[in-house]
Amino acid sequence: MRRLPNPFRLIARNPVALKELRGRMRGPRAFIVLTGYLIVVAGFTVIIYLATTEASLSTTGEVDGGTVGRFLFNSVVAMELFLVTFITPAFTASAISGEHEHQTYDLLRTTLLPERSLVWGKLFSTLAYVMLLLLAAIPLQSIAFLFGGVDLPEIYIAFVTLFATTTLLGTLGVYFSATTRRTLKANIFTYVSTMGLVVITAMAVMVLVSIEVSRSFGGQNNITVAGEWVLLLLRGVFVCLNPLTTLLTSQDYLINQQSAFSFVYTFSDGSTVTLPSPWIVYSIAYMVLSALIFWRTVRVMSEIEE
Amino acid sequence: MSDLGTPPVEEEVFSADEHVAAENLAAVSALRTEIDETDLIIETRGLNKRYGKLHAVKDLTLQVPKGAIYGFVGPNGAGKTSTMRMLTTLMRPTSGEAHINGFSVTKDPREVRRSIGYMPDFFGVYEDMKVWEYLDFFAACYEIPEGQRPGLIRDLLELVELSHRRDDMVDKLSRGMKQRLCLARTLAHDPAVLILDEPASGLDPRARVEIRELLIELAKMGKTIFFSSHILADVSEICTHIGILEAGEMVMQGPIKELRKQLSPHRTIVVTLLNRPDEAKQALNLIAGVQNIHDLEPEDGKPRLKIEFTGEDTGISEMLQALMTKGIPVVNFAEEASDLEDVFMKVTKGIVT
Ligand SMILES: Nc1ncnc2c1ncn2[C@@H]1O[C@H](COP(=O)(O)OP(=O)(O)O)[C@@H](O)[C@H]1O
Ligand SMILES: [Mg+2]
Repeated sequence: MRRLPNPFRLIARNPVALKELRGRMRGPRAFIVLTGYLIVVAGFTVIIYLATTEASLSTTGEVDGGTVGRFLFNSVVAMELFLVTFITPAFTASAISGEHEHQTYDLLRTTLLPERSLVWGKLFSTLAYVMLLLLAAIPLQSIAFLFGGVDLPEIYIAFVTLFATTTLLGTLGVYFSATTRRTLKANIFTYVSTMGLVVITAMAVMVLVSIEVSRSFGGQNNITVAGEWVLLLLRGVFVCLNPLTTLLTSQDYLINQQSAFSFVYTFSDGSTVTLPSPWIVYSIAYMVLSALIFWRTVRVMSEIEE
Repeated sequence: MSDLGTPPVEEEVFSADEHVAAENLAAVSALRTEIDETDLIIETRGLNKRYGKLHAVKDLTLQVPKGAIYGFVGPNGAGKTSTMRMLTTLMRPTSGEAHINGFSVTKDPREVRRSIGYMPDFFGVYEDMKVWEYLDFFAACYEIPEGQRPGLIRDLLELVELSHRRDDMVDKLSRGMKQRLCLARTLAHDPAVLILDEPASGLDPRARVEIRELLIELAKMGKTIFFSSHILADVSEICTHIGILEAGEMVMQGPIKELRKQLSPHRTIVVTLLNRPDEAKQALNLIAGVQNIHDLEPEDGKPRLKIEFTGEDTGISEMLQALMTKGIPVVNFAEEASDLEDVFMKVTKGIVT
C-alpha cells in the first residue's frame, strides 16, 4: 500500500468493500447471524452464571461476587473467541475462490481494479462485520461488572486481542482462498492451520511451564540469568502466539500486578525486568503476520496464469 | 428492437425469423467500405499457446483493423477462447506478441485493460445486487468518478434496453438480459475494442438477433468488435472481417468481400434474353475479363446465358451496356451471389458448422 489507509475513506473508495458490505447487510441474513450470535453468547452466559453461583454457594455458603464476575467474563470472552474463530474463516475463505466458482473472477481481473484493492476490500468488509459482532457482545461482557472483579482494561484487552485474532484468521482465509481457488479447501486449510497454531503453542507453553515449575520447586538454582532469559523469552514467544494463554496471562498480570500494559519479572538472583504485557505482543505479532500474509496474497494474485 | 414502453422481452410474442433489420445491414455494408485495412487495432505476431503437450494456438497472426466487426470463427476446441484470454491479459502467451491499441499485452497489461471490454464465454453475475449496483460496481472498478456514474449507468441501461429493470435484482433477469447487462458492463469505461467470446451462444433466436443488432449499434459508435463464434450464420451477415481458425491455426482472414473473391475467382452473371442469344454472346466475348459463356436451359422459351467473369464492377456494367447498344432485348441481368457458406465448407472441409 502506498499510504496508510483511512478505513472510512476506503469503504467509499474501494468498490469491493462497498459491494460486500452492501450484500452482507442486505436482507435478513445479517440480522439472523447477529441475533443468533447474541443468543448463543447470552444463553451461554446464563448457563455459566447459574453454574458458578451454584458452585460458589455450595462450597462457601455465599456468592463470591468477584470470582463469579471474573469467571463470567472469561467465559463470554472464550465463547466469543470460539465463535470468531469459526465465523471469520467462513466469511473470508470464499473471498477469492467464490469469484472463481461463480465465474466472476475474469470479469474483475480485466478491470483496472488493483489486486490489493480486491484483497483489502474482501478483508475489510469481513473485519468490519466481525467488529460489529464483537462490539455487540460488549454489553454481555459488562454484566460481569455487576459482580465486581472485572475492570475496564479487561474489556479493551479482550477486544483488541479478539480483533487481532480475527484479522489474522481473516487474512489467512483470504490467502488460502486465493491460492486454492476452492472455498471448501480454503476453509479446511484455514481451520487446520489455526488449530495447529493453537494446539502447538499451547503444548509448547505447557512443556516450558512444567520445566519452569520443576526448576523453581526442585530447588535447582544453578541456572544463570542468561539461561533464565532464554527460557523467559521462549515461553513468551509461545504464550504470545496463543490467544488463550495470552488472555489468561494478561489477566493474571492485571490482577496480581495491577498493570494492563506491562509486567515485572523477577529473576532468581533478585534482579527484575519490566516487559510488555502479552496481549500487546500478541496483537502486534498477529497484525504483522497478517500484513505479511496480505502482501503474499496480493503477490500470488498478481501472477498471470501460464 | 423494442421501445422502452413495451413489456419485458420474454413476455413478447416469440419471433422465429432471425433477421437483422435492413437498415443495420446497410450500416454494415457502409462499414465494410469505410475501414482502413492498414490501421490495425488488434495485432498478433507468431502468437503461441501450449498447454503441456497440446499446442492450442499456433503461430497466430491476427489482424483486426480499427472499426471492424471481426468474426473469429472456428469449431469448438480450435483455440478461440485461448487466443482471447491472451489478448485480454488473463493468460500469458507461451511465445509471440500481441498488441491492442498499440499496447503490448505482456508489457503493458493495464493500458490494454483500459482499451478493452471483455465478455467471457461463460460468466457469472453477482446475484445479490441490483442491476444499477452491478454497473456502478464495475464503473468504480474502472475508476469512473462517483459523480459521473449515475448518468453513465442511465446511458448504458438505455443502450442495452434494460432501463425498466434498473432496480431489479440481477438474478431475476433472463439469460439474454444478463448477457446484455454484461455487455453494458464491458462498455463502462468506453473502451476502443470489445472482445466478446461467443456472445450469442446459448441464447434463444430472438436474444441472438438482439445481440447482433447491438453489436452493429456499437460498431456504428466507432468501436472495434472482435467476437468469436462456432456458428457461421451468426457471423457472415454482420461482419466486416472474418478470421477462420482451425486446430489453432488461422486458415484465412480478411475483409469478407476479399474472402469471397479469393475463394471463388469467378463471378457469375446470368442473363435472360427475349431472343438473339448468339449476337449477345459475340458482344459479350469482346469484353475484357469474360472467361466463358455457357447456354443455360431456356426459361419459358427465353434463352439464358451464364457468364463467368473476373474483374471489377465496371466490367459488369460494360457488359450490360454492350447488350444495350446492340439493341438486344434483355429481360434479366443479375450477378449470382457466391454463397459464403460454400466458401467456408471449402476452407474448413466441413468442420465449421
Ligand atoms: N487451461 C487449459 N489447460 C489445458 N488445455 C486447455 C486449457 N484451455 C483450453 N485447453 C485446450 O485447448 C484447446 C483450445 O481450447 P479453446 O481455446 O477453449 O478453444 P475454443 O474456444 O475455440 O473452443 C482445446 O483442445 C482445449 O481442450
Ligand atoms: Mg471457447
